[in-house]
Parts: sequence; structure tokens; C-alpha cells
Amino acid sequence: MTSRSSLLRAALRIPPSCVVFAVLLITLWVLRPNMMNPAILGTFARQVVPLGIVVLGQLLVISSRSIDLSAGGIILLVNYLISSGLLYSWPLLPIILLCLGVGLAVGLVNGLLVGKRRASAVIVTLAINIVLIGLVEYLANGKPPGDVPAEFRALYNLRFWTIPAPVMFWIALAGIMSAFLGASVFGRFVWSIGSNPTSAHFSGVPVERTVVAAHVIAGLMFAVAALVQTSSIAVGSVRFGPELVMNSIAATILGGVVFGRPAEVWGPFVGVLCFALLFVVMTTIGVQEPGKLIVQGLIILLAAIFYGLRSKSN
Amino acid sequence: MSKVGRIFFPANSRHGLWTIPLLVAICCCVGLAISTADFVSRQNVLNLFAQAAPLILVSIGQMIVILVKGLDLSVGSVVSLTTGILSLNAPFYVTVPAAMLNAAVVGLLNGVAVTRFRVHPIIATLSIMGITQGAAMFVRPSAGGTVASEIVALVSGELFGIYMPVIWTIAAILVGWKIVHGSRFGLHLFAIGGGETAATFGIAEQRNEVAAYVLSSCFAAAAGIFLAGRIASGDPNIGTQYAVDSITAVALGGTQLAGGIGSLHGTLIGCGLLALIANGMNLLNVSAFVQTIVKGAILLLVIALQPRKNIGL
Amino acid sequence: MTIEPLVRMTSISKSFGGIAALENVDFQLLPGTVHALMGENGAGKSTLMKILAGVVQPDDGMIRKAGRTVQFASPREALNAGISTVFQEHSLLANLSIAENMYLGKEPLTVLGSVDVARMERNARETLRGLGLNLDPATLVGNLTIAERQFVEIARGISANADVIILDEPSAALNAADVEILNAQILSLKQQDKAVVYISHRMEEIFKICDTITVLKDGRNVDTVPVATIAPKRLIAMMVGRELAELFPPKPARTESEIVLSIEGLRLTPDSPPCSIHLRRGEIVALAGLEGQGQRELVRSLVGQHAAHEGRVRIGSRELALPLPEDHGIRMLQALGVGFVPEDRKLEGLFLDLSLAHNLTIGLHSRHFELTPAGSDRDVIANSIRNLSIKAATPSTPVGTLSGGNQQKVLLGRYLALGADILLIEEPTRGVDVGAKAEIYKLLRAYTNAGGAAIVLSRETLELIGLCDRLYVIHDKHVVAEMPAGQATEHAILEAALHR
Repeated sequence: MTSRSSLLRAALRIPPSCVVFAVLLITLWVLRPNMMNPAILGTFARQVVPLGIVVLGQLLVISSRSIDLSAGGIILLVNYLISSGLLYSWPLLPIILLCLGVGLAVGLVNGLLVGKRRASAVIVTLAINIVLIGLVEYLANGKPPGDVPAEFRALYNLRFWTIPAPVMFWIALAGIMSAFLGASVFGRFVWSIGSNPTSAHFSGVPVERTVVAAHVIAGLMFAVAALVQTSSIAVGSVRFGPELVMNSIAATILGGVVFGRPAEVWGPFVGVLCFALLFVVMTTIGVQEPGKLIVQGLIILLAAIFYGLRSKSN
Repeated sequence: MSKVGRIFFPANSRHGLWTIPLLVAICCCVGLAISTADFVSRQNVLNLFAQAAPLILVSIGQMIVILVKGLDLSVGSVVSLTTGILSLNAPFYVTVPAAMLNAAVVGLLNGVAVTRFRVHPIIATLSIMGITQGAAMFVRPSAGGTVASEIVALVSGELFGIYMPVIWTIAAILVGWKIVHGSRFGLHLFAIGGGETAATFGIAEQRNEVAAYVLSSCFAAAAGIFLAGRIASGDPNIGTQYAVDSITAVALGGTQLAGGIGSLHGTLIGCGLLALIANGMNLLNVSAFVQTIVKGAILLLVIALQPRKNIGL
Repeated sequence: MTIEPLVRMTSISKSFGGIAALENVDFQLLPGTVHALMGENGAGKSTLMKILAGVVQPDDGMIRKAGRTVQFASPREALNAGISTVFQEHSLLANLSIAENMYLGKEPLTVLGSVDVARMERNARETLRGLGLNLDPATLVGNLTIAERQFVEIARGISANADVIILDEPSAALNAADVEILNAQILSLKQQDKAVVYISHRMEEIFKICDTITVLKDGRNVDTVPVATIAPKRLIAMMVGRELAELFPPKPARTESEIVLSIEGLRLTPDSPPCSIHLRRGEIVALAGLEGQGQRELVRSLVGQHAAHEGRVRIGSRELALPLPEDHGIRMLQALGVGFVPEDRKLEGLFLDLSLAHNLTIGLHSRHFELTPAGSDRDVIANSIRNLSIKAATPSTPVGTLSGGNQQKVLLGRYLALGADILLIEEPTRGVDVGAKAEIYKLLRAYTNAGGAAIVLSRETLELIGLCDRLYVIHDKHVVAEMPAGQATEHAILEAALHR
């Protein structure tokens, strides 16, 4: 093994998200140099924090060769629980715990159906998403969402040395997830399943249990993302774009975590930052909503083809 | 195969389990006929056909793809995009071919991504769904536009005394039957879904799979044409429900998502059952949101009962 | 008067990954004959027939069919040229009917463009009846027994007007009654002037229905003789006889240590007679015999990867009843100190894109609960690399870049690091060069000398004789003989396997 070929291999291992991020940053700097200051960039970053936290869960699930399309529904439900006044009489902490519990519960249902019952992950999580959306719309019909409690909004607007609090929270969470995956036995299990599920089975890895756990943690992450997302808006809402889930898949794949590659936190992290810049660059250029959807779809497709070609040549 | 699956499986057929959904559908009919006066009315039956026709079209296309172990999540956005294309102020002999050409291209993209580039069908069709939905919103940002009057005429009124949606349904069934059960191509679809066919039998697997995706998009486009005629406008959100609904209908009708097992009559029964449930819930004044919950729950139940070996995607 | 051979293969050579499977092999088939192809494991008979059947392409040599030179890129092309094959891995589609399987790709059509089911089934019924079978051509293949599926595969070849029919171990899965039906079919094919190639180990069948026997050894021709002129004992002598290389470490003197694993009343299928196997501490025990006779199924049934019909396993003081559950059989046995090393290290054993360190320690980690910290295990890794002489740049090198021998050592190292008391090893040195082989043998012996015990499977009988203390000979899914290594020769094993 010459050092040159190992250098090349190391270069190929850099996730596409880093390259794309560099390109976007340069593009923005060329188009709008006045936006290149920490305060404004921090605001852009803050807008994608919910996406970033969703991605933390999604990358875990995708790395276990599954997928989770129920993020939208969970976020909607948590958003409603907080803003609807259903729980107005409760103090803050139990509300937060309840929301986290909801995320865990939905994740558990997903995990059991996918891991134990071996149903198709796409369809299960899609169906759960539909059920959750229907549930929220039904509840909202009876008791429409109201104001988000002031404490949430205050937290959202906090800044530490011009870096918004949500961004720091996201970085911290990503750090914890990365450390957890790197240091724990669970992380080894996920990497093993991602690399070769058959070998994982023959090594004694509890494959089913790991997939269930991946979905449970993802559900938890989605609930956390929901809390951040809720604090960013003044009033609860029942309308929600489906782009969040698509974006989470796109950012994960862009970050180098595809079906069959080991879970890695920072590639998708940069992938989410790419989306922050992408929204800004596209708005600056004048691309509207439809264009954004098309770009999103293209990114997923091209990245998937790229990885498909690479594994074929291997 | 799971023990539950083994109990329900008919012995000598690859048509999947369609008998139980049929029973449920009949029970629904009877139940609804008893509990609401409106169910058996002529108007309601015609409504049923009008609701079911686009679903049947999309589901036939979806079934074709599912038979070869694939899945097409982009059908919904193709429906929306088609209504958008048809709502452009242009004569029908321009918009209809344009819509069909568009569908063929989408299907080709899906098929090539899955076969040549080995992208997982879910990822491929999910991403192309995004692209197509973006195109749909670009062509027709919000509901509106003008649909050629010939198209509107094609889906309303009567032909030889038969209500147009009924004719569309019958046409869809005939074409679908011919493709799936009445041709060599159909047999090859089942074969590809059942195992390795290229080396031993010399079947052109890749070509057939691409054809399956193209057909799926074309059926979705046909549904789009029908809907455009019904609402006489384009709507970028009208097709969204059909992606999941078509998968539900196909699975309800006994077609296995793992490929190789399924039938047209099963898919029809699945569509009929879904349409009945929607129709019934409407008549019983069940809120639209509860209907959504019920549909999601049905899908979950049906999927949980289908046997599978792999974990995850 | 010389009859023109139906098939003439000349100077066929084929290598896989640098190892020669066939070297300059000749083979010819006369019409109206049943021609047996025999040889030990790895002799090349499967490869030779796969070349004729179009599954693989030869590196060198020529195939002539009915006087014309031919080349087949796929089994379909071979079938079009008149060569049909019934392999052990059945290639029929379970969700299609008998008739559909027989005519897939060449379906008759009606005027309207539909598949003419009636005509297809009529033709199929005729062909089946010509073979003496009474099957309904509309039956889905998935509902047929293994024997019936084999008959349908033969029928498929006939309906494609094949004049050469290759049968690869046809009677392996059949009971006596079905074998009679098969023999009748083969006879009828012979009477129709077709040529049948019969790859089998069943002496009784070969001497009953075959006309000629070709014996291969180590990828080369030994001889081709008419059945009438040869006796079974000489046949066996033709198939074996090699020098034992000085690869193997010395074996310790035999002492009666305690039994660490014993299997009682094991029946892999409802028809197999019950058999027993035991393993003592410090022993390496072999499951020998011809390929595909049940050794793999036996060992895999101990970890739930194969559903044996019944049996009782005793490990130390724990007793388990077979069959074991598939999803956690491996973990169950790891908890009892038994490690299972799968055969295909690339597909089933290793994580090729992950590091050496990960591959070595994953077994260890699997014993712990998910939330425990995965220690760096630097010591374990360093020890393993040293003890196993694994040549790699650093512990973080991806395992896929290592040589075959080193990869195999990593795989074994994982289970050794687990601290397993008992190892079940499928193919310890598959695709590994001679030097690494010797090292692995030394490793295994050191492991058992230190108190471990191992059951080993291998296609290379010599490897088993050289490495192991005791051998069980497996044939037809049960144990037919047991012998200490000192008395084991290839000849003796083959004889025991073939019941002579």
C-alpha cells in the first residue's frame, strides 16, 4: 500500500457535503459579500437547526439500512401539544418530557414494526406519518393551536457571543451523538449493520434490537427538533412542508451516510449547513419554492447514483 | 413465510390473497347500505366511480412496478404535474401528448436509475418525486388555469348511456388486464419478481423493469388527465394522496411488496375497498382527518401482515 | 464404425483467482449413452460441466457440439444449442407454473397476443408423460417437492429439444422411490439417443445405469473407462492418492479429556437416521466426506442457521434442543462459549470497509450491552496481531485491503479474542496461500493445546487428515463412520463415504 494510494483513498472518503459547502460559501461570498459576518451566518444556521437535529436521527436509521419518514408527523404533533393550550396548565418541564416521550413512543412503534415484524421501513414510517398528521388535524379542528409559551421564544432568541443558542445546542447534541457512536458498543453495532448485516449477524450483533433502538433514538431526536422548531415560531401551526423529511434524507446522503456506510455525524452536519447556504443562495439568485424542491430531489438522486457507481466499481 | 401469512395464502396461485379484502368490501357495502339511505342512490354510486377511477389507474401502474420488486413514490407528483400541463392554455392535441411524453421521461429516469445505476427504488423514486413535484409547482403554482374543453367532455357526461367515469374504469381494467395477465410481458414481470431469470431463461430483466416504471408513470398521467377534466383546472397538490393510496390499494389487494405475487383483480378489489371506506366515511360524516388516520392505520395493518425476510428498507 | 461424439471438449483449462480448477481436460459424449463423471472434492467435475452448461467460460480449450465449434455466454445459449442442465441449486421460478417454467422465454402466443396457456399446458403434459410423470402442468413450482422440481427441470431440457442433459448430483435429495423414477427417465432419454452426464457419488446408481465413467483428479483427466470393465475398489483408487505436505503441526499424544460438546440423536431431516457426535477438550475434530453431504447443515444447525429435524446438544452443563431459533441462535451459543466461523469471509464474515480493529473486536463487543463504552481494546488488538502474525499497516487499515490469508486470520482472530472455548469452523483456509495455511494450522493447534476444542469442516480431505485428531465421515446427511486421524487416509474416508 503506497502512501499515495492511501492518500487518494482518504481524499475519496471526504463526504461530498464538504465540497458542496465550500462551493456554496464561495458562491455566497461572490454574490453577497456583505452577508459574510458571524451574526448573519449565525441566523442562517439557526434556521436549519431543526433540520440538523432531525438529521442526527435520520443518519442513525439510514446507517442501519432503514429509513424514517415520520419526522414531519412527530414535529407537527409536538408543535400542537405545546401551542394548543391542551397542556396550558402544566409547568414547562413536564410538557417537554411529554413531548420527548411522544417521540420515543412513535420511534418504538416504528422500530418494532421495522425491526421485529420486518415490515418495509418506508411504508411503515410513511403510514405512521399520515396517522400523526391526521391526528393533529383532527385535534386542531376541535381546539385550534394558540400561542407558543413565551419561555420557548426567549430561549430561541438567546445568543452567546453572537452565536445563537439553538446553534450551540445543535453542535453540542451532534458532539454527544458523535461521541456516543464512537465510544459505545451500540455505535459498533450500527457500523457493523451498515457495513454488512450478514456478517453482523454472524458476529453476534443483535441486529433486530439495534434497528429498533435506532428508530427509538431517531424518534427522540425528531421530538427534540420539534421543540426547537416550535420555539422559532410565535403561533402554533397545522400546515407543514413535507420538505423537512426530504431535506433530512438529502443532507444525510450528501454527508456520506448511505445505506451500507457507517454512521458518521459530521458529514451530514456539514450537509445541513449546505442546505442553510443553499436556501440563501437560491433566494438570492431568485429561485422560488419549486426550484428548491427540484434541487433537493436532484441532490438525492445524484448522490445516490454516485454511491451506486462507486460501490459497483468496488 | 410468517405463520400468519401461511394460513392466508391460497395454495396454487400467484395472485395473492384477494379473497379476504373482497369479503371485507362486501361487508362494507352491506353495512353502508343498511346504515345510510344515501349509499345505494344512483348519485352516490356514480360518485364512487368518479372517486375510484383515478385511483384505479394509478394503482394499476403501481402494481406493475411492485411486481418486479420495485416501488414508485413519484406517481402522485406525476398526477399533479399532468393536471398542471393540461391546465396550460393550449389545445388538447398539444397538452395531452406533452403530458404523456413527460410521463414517459419520468418513468425512464426512474427505470434507468434503478436498473443501470443500482439506486434503491425508494431513493430513486423519492428523489424524482421531489423533482416532479417541483416541476408541478412551477407549471401551476396554485390551482387554476384552463383545461381544454375536449378533455372536460371526455370525463363528464355519458357515452352510449354509460357514465364516463365508468367507461374510464372499464377501459383501465381492460388495458391493465391485457398488460398483466394477457401478454408475454406480464408473465415476464411475474418471473422477474420471482427470481433470477436472465441467465437461465434469457429474459431481458433490465429492459422489462424500465418498461414497468414507464408504464407506471403513464398510468399516473392518465389519472392526471382524468382529474384535470373533472376539476377543469390544474392543481399541484391534487396528486399527493395517490402515492400512498396506490400502495395501500395494491397491498390491500394481496400483491406482495417483495414481488412476484399479485393480480389485477386483487388491485381492483383493493381500490374498491379504499374507495368504499372513503365514501362510507363521507356519508357517515366522519371528519376528513379521522379518515386520514383510518387510511394510515389500514396501510400499517396490511404491511405488518405481509411476510418479509430483510430488515429495514 | 465410429460414432461422431455429440459433444467433444478438448484441452479445457480454467483458473479461479490464480488457482487452477481444470488443466487440459478432455471429455466427450456419445449419443445414447449415460456417462458418469466422478472425482473427489475439487477434482473439477462441477467446473467442467459448468463450462459445458454455459455458466462459466473456459480460459483455454475448445468445445465442439455435433461437429461445430461453440461458445456459450449463458445457460440460455447452451440450452439453445441443445445442452440442458439440472444443477443442485434449482433455478426454477417458484411463483410460475410447471408449464410456464418450461416455456418461459419461448411462450406460444394466441392470435390476440396472450400467452396460449392451453397449448403450453398441453405440450408440457405430453413431455411430462413422456418421462413417466403424472404432474399437473398448471401447478406452481413452489408447491412441488424437491424431487418433482428436479423432474420438471429435466422435462424443461427435453421440451427445449436438448440432446445433452447434465445431471449434477440428481439423486442427492431423492428417496429410493423417486430414484427409481429418475432412473426410468434416464433410460428413456438414452433410448431416444440423447446423452446424459451423471455427476454423482452414488456407486450403486452409477453401476446400475451408466455406460462409461470419466474420473478427474486435481483438475486433470485420470481415465475414461466403460462401466463393465471396472470394479468399485479400483475406481476409488483412481480418485485418490496424493502426497501429504509437511504443513501440519505435531499432534499431542491422545489423553482422555472431558467432553465439552456432545450432540445426541441428531437428525437433519425426518428421513435421516439419528447420529451422535462428541468433542473433547484439546481435540480438533473433522467432519469429513464428500462435498455437500450435510456437514455444513450439521454445523449450522448448532447455531440456528439451519433447521435440523431434531437433536439434543450438550455444551458443558447446558442442554439445548434442536432446532434453534434463527435470529438469536448465534448469540445464544456465543454466550455459552461457542464461536461459529462462517465459510465465506467476504460475504458472511468480515466487514470489508471497516478497520482491522473493528473486525477483531466486534465479537467481544457483541457480548456487552449497547450502552457500555467500547473500550479501545488496544491490548487485545495488539496481542491478536502479534499472535496471529497478521501483516497490516495499522490497526485502522480497512480489512478489505488485506491479503486472503491475513483476512482469514482476522476472521479467526475475532472468535479467538472472544475467548470461545469451542470453535465451529467452516473452511479454515479457503482461498489462502500455503504459507498462511501453515500459520493457521499452527494457530488452531496452539488454541486447542491451551484448552480449546474445535470442529472443522473442509473440502480438502488432506487438510482434515493432517490437522485433526479424529474424523467423522458424513454422507447423506448423517454420520457413517468415525476414525482416529492415524487410521485415516483419503482412500479410507472415501470408502467409508461410499459405503464400501
